Amino acid sequence: MRAPAHRHVDAVFDALADPTRRRVVETLARGGTVTASGLAAQLPITRQAVAKHLSALRGAELVSASRIGRETHYKLRPQPLDEAAHWIQMVSAEWDDRLEALRRSLEKRGSRSQ
Amino acid sequence: MKLRDEKTPWVERDTLVEASPEEVWEALTDEDRLEEWLAPDVELDPTEGGEIAVRDGDDERAGTVETVEENERFAFTWSRPGEDESFVEFTIEALPGGSRVTVVETPMNSPATNAAAPTAMAAGGWNSRLARLHHAVRFAPVA
Repeated sequence: MRAPAHRHVDAVFDALADPTRRRVVETLARGGTVTASGLAAQLPITRQAVAKHLSALRGAELVSASRIGRETHYKLRPQPLDEAAHWIQMVSAEWDDRLEALRRSLEKRGSRSQ
Repeated sequence: MKLRDEKTPWVERDTLVEASPEEVWEALTDEDRLEEWLAPDVELDPTEGGEIAVRDGDDERAGTVETVEENERFAFTWSRPGEDESFVEFTIEALPGGSRVTVVETPMNSPATNAAAPTAMAAGGWNSRLARLHHAVRFAPVA
């Protein structure tokens, strides 16, 4: 079986490569819909830093934004996370199959020479 | 080779085999042996800078051999046409009565050097990262 093209999940992996950004995602997961100021209050980083991370997360479609009055509210979009997890599972399963084939190939030879 | 420190591996898998590191090495670096387990059609020049081509039906990947440390470590890059490369590294560890074979596949698409990130292996790879995030999302309150 062939795994899907990984370019679709690259943006997600790049966005989540930063440990602070992963904390933003975890905080968003807990908080439901929050503002950048609300997030900054829960994290040891400035509002400006939060805004930068939110922008990167929006670029990977991990976060959606909606305007309510004068404020922008941010919300986690779990679907790209699911796709990234699916990709990793596919790659893992491919290597499990290949390593199992390697093991069989080696042990077939071993028993032949005994 | 600093590639592995720049990106987090997609996967790290291992298997225990009843074969010596020398036997494993041959299975990893001989193109006829690779055709027994990796793919039906493999071309390999097992020297650093040599080419590797792996074909399974219409699924085709090609790349370059990066590391050749006999009986210990074999690594190459590969990619499908038009896709970004990934880095595949096998390590062989001698055990009583056999060997442990570990494979790590790491994306190489962008030079995402990240000083704040711990080394790739210590981070446990994307599997554990995503598991943690998934856990956080699953137990999220309904907005």
